[in-house]
Amino acid sequence: MITYIIRRTLYMLPLLLIVSLLSFAIIQLMPGDYLTRSRLNPDVTQETFDRLAERYGLTEPFIVRWWTWLVGIVTRGDFGLSFETKRPVYFTLFMGNRLWWTLLVSLTTLILTWVLAIPIGIYSATHQYKTSDHVLTFFGFLGLSIPNFFFALVILWILVAVVKIRRFGLGVSGLFDNQYVEAPWSLAKVGNLLWHLWPAWVVIGTSAMAGLIRLMRGSLLDTLALQYVQTARAKGLKERVVVYKHAVRNAINPLVSILGLQLPNLVAGSLIVARVMNLPTVERAFFTSLQAQDEFVIMGGLLFFSLFLLLGNLIADILLAWVDPRIRYT
Amino acid sequence: MKKVGLILVGLLLVFSAAAVAQYYDGLQDPKIYDLGSDEYPGLEAGVNGGTFYISAISNPKKWNDVTAHETSTTQYTNVMFRSLVTIHPQTGALVPELCTGWDISADGLVVTFNLRKGIKWSDGEVFDAEDVLFTYNDLILNEDVETDSRDGLALPDGTFPVMTAIDSHTIRLEMSQIFRPVFNQFTFNIMPEHKLADTVHKLNPAVPAGNFNEVWGLDTDPADLAGLGPFVVESYAPDQNVTMVRNPYYYAYDQNGTQLPYVDKYIILTVESQDVSLLKFRNGEIDALGIRPSDVPILVPEAALNDFEVKIGSGVYGTLWVSFNEDFGLGEGDPVKDQLRGLFRDIRFRKAVSHAMDKQSIINNLYNGLAAPQWATVSVPSPFYGGRDVYGGPITESSAVNYEYDLTAAAGLLDEIGIVDLDGDGYRDFADGTTVEFLLETNAGNTLREGFCLILAADLDDIGLKVNFQPVDFNTLVTRLLGGTLYEACVLGLTGGNDPNGGANVQRTTGGLHFWHYSAADEPYEYERRIDELYDLGLLTFDNDEAFGYYQESQILYATDSLGMLFSVNQQFTYAIYNYVGNQEIADVTATPSGNNGLAWDLVFLEAGGR
Repeated sequence: MITYIIRRTLYMLPLLLIVSLLSFAIIQLMPGDYLTRSRLNPDVTQETFDRLAERYGLTEPFIVRWWTWLVGIVTRGDFGLSFETKRPVYFTLFMGNRLWWTLLVSLTTLILTWVLAIPIGIYSATHQYKTSDHVLTFFGFLGLSIPNFFFALVILWILVAVVKIRRFGLGVSGLFDNQYVEAPWSLAKVGNLLWHLWPAWVVIGTSAMAGLIRLMRGSLLDTLALQYVQTARAKGLKERVVVYKHAVRNAINPLVSILGLQLPNLVAGSLIVARVMNLPTVERAFFTSLQAQDEFVIMGGLLFFSLFLLLGNLIADILLAWVDPRIRYT
Repeated sequence: MKKVGLILVGLLLVFSAAAVAQYYDGLQDPKIYDLGSDEYPGLEAGVNGGTFYISAISNPKKWNDVTAHETSTTQYTNVMFRSLVTIHPQTGALVPELCTGWDISADGLVVTFNLRKGIKWSDGEVFDAEDVLFTYNDLILNEDVETDSRDGLALPDGTFPVMTAIDSHTIRLEMSQIFRPVFNQFTFNIMPEHKLADTVHKLNPAVPAGNFNEVWGLDTDPADLAGLGPFVVESYAPDQNVTMVRNPYYYAYDQNGTQLPYVDKYIILTVESQDVSLLKFRNGEIDALGIRPSDVPILVPEAALNDFEVKIGSGVYGTLWVSFNEDFGLGEGDPVKDQLRGLFRDIRFRKAVSHAMDKQSIINNLYNGLAAPQWATVSVPSPFYGGRDVYGGPITESSAVNYEYDLTAAAGLLDEIGIVDLDGDGYRDFADGTTVEFLLETNAGNTLREGFCLILAADLDDIGLKVNFQPVDFNTLVTRLLGGTLYEACVLGLTGGNDPNGGANVQRTTGGLHFWHYSAADEPYEYERRIDELYDLGLLTFDNDEAFGYYQESQILYATDSLGMLFSVNQQFTYAIYNYVGNQEIADVTATPSGNNGLAWDLVFLEAGGR
């Protein structure tokens, strides 16, 4: 198992290398470059822009730039400077605890989604085609089908224009209300944070839940139809034991692989909600760099997300081996 | 008893000392605003205190004003730093800021600035001529520094004004020729020499070349920054907010001796979505908001109930236009392109399109009525806007060259050119029978520009011109625009300011943004030669009325003979503000010729009021 993990980790290096080359090439396909956006500024002459392009290395062929960038990483651990902020890439992407806020938002959402989706899936499977199954499925799909940005705006609009939360001195979007931004941590401040996070949980959660519910429901239905479940029932076990001890434990395998694959979603999966709800997440910084064609920040972000994807895959495989004794890696 | 007497005398001394030393220690030349006087009408002296909240659409990129390129950064640096000369927030006139005034020599080639004495940086260090020299000679003119302020300082002969210090508080500026916009160009912000000299490669070879461009990034401890402006950065939370507090050493006071700014804190929330900003304003979380025309009908019904007001300001700086490429396909030898270029080069064609542009419909449908037709190259709020009767006078359209919406006149001009519908398909054809059609592009995602294109395309369809409208990525469009011979027709906007010379790069035949006719650099038309001349003449006088004459002539010439850009409309700056904010009369866009067009009042006068 250890050798397997080590081997898989080593495989990641060439993979990341190829990912970086491909990403670099794709970035070059974007029209223009970092400077194009500002070239319509009448105050600055085109000669000045041309000089800047040369200074930023934008006039060199992309393979040369990719190589210079790679050499910087390998020899100095230098991922380059952001054109926009003139700060190192990792600072531009992660400053202000962005990574921790991202993980906090995504992890809490993930946990909430799973804690709700699995019991609902089980309930749906054990109450197949009953009214309650249809109602739950309907709401699951409703959440899936409303576009996130729209749903997020609608929630905020309802709070402001319908509920009129200013009567209660509450605010919308961001992490805190104005009066808590600079206040030291307290119970009230945590409460205020929760008030600001719940709309994000609802929006991201509802969009992810429907799929999980269907998966759990389908997987459990398959398992419940198997012969060993029939045997368990035949020998007189209680229905609760049949379902939870025998069926669910086997039906949950596909969800475990999904869990691993959701790891990259922790850092990249809530962009739209984060933009509307004003949450300080890594992918918002990444999105800003995309809009500005801030090349090295885009590359840094892509590498970071790819790394999470690879790690997620690895963790999924390990988890699977752990929950399912039939799977063994050598 | 004796003791009590002594205490009384002591107290008296303390009070009288307080009454005399109403300015901070050492400040000899404070800037005094007589609010409510003829110079600052509509404002009144206030009291210190409170917090003012607004929102901004993106994070700052750095705290370094010299290397800042966009308003997302300068909206902060403009209140952290100050310049030698500034623009009066109400009249738009150039007024002294860090200096008490200036003298111009008889020949107009030497300008002397007298700096205010006793001013201190926000860290308590003394400000003097060294700081000005450092900013100008070692930062702005230093090619190692990436700044947008340098190019505008170049005199027509390519040299730069030479700055020296006569003494610690007198600056001498010598120019090789008269350069009227010199005062406008000296609105760049002054940086602290004591903090930054060591970071400039030219002064300190120990740091690498280009080092200054990386100085004062977002990871700098705000306590290490020093400025002369009304506010200093207290803290910054990415994607959340920037908190600014009053600069204890700001040198401006009102007539009662109250130090400005009135508000203690100025907090800017980072809100990426304009829809969310609007909700935050309605929720009372921000005190004021620059709004879109489409927000007006949402806010007006709520205004009285929630005690705020929706205000319609004056026009914004900048222009929105459609341009036809008079160099399209030049040098390629493609007969189809040559034919189209020939049409674009015919002034009658451009006049026909001008007549076919339904500006009133654009104003009503896209701007909810909150816009005015634009007819000339200079921004509407500029005192040099060609539509005005007199320099600095009220905006009227009477002296502008107008092309009223008139489809018959437009069709008549096209008939005159000789493009008529030969095959009866409803579209005009060239003499060889091919349909007259062209590609109209604008940047995708800008709903106002896309709307303008759709209205224009429908109008042109009415006079038998086949327009293929295509929104494209902004960078693609810019590349095509600057490529010279690539685009056919496009809709875009340009930023603008008070001084027409800011648009010289567009107007001059040799300018980098003369995109509709780059070949003019080698073969200018007669009227282009004249516009070049007028732009030279406009620089060579300090008499603004004389300069206005030149710029007005160039604008009229542009509207009658060139029409390289056919202007559409000028949006009015619209904003919403809660009534408790004091001195909000200052909140007018005329205060912000920086091209920001957003909420960038001269904040020093605003009072937070009771939230």
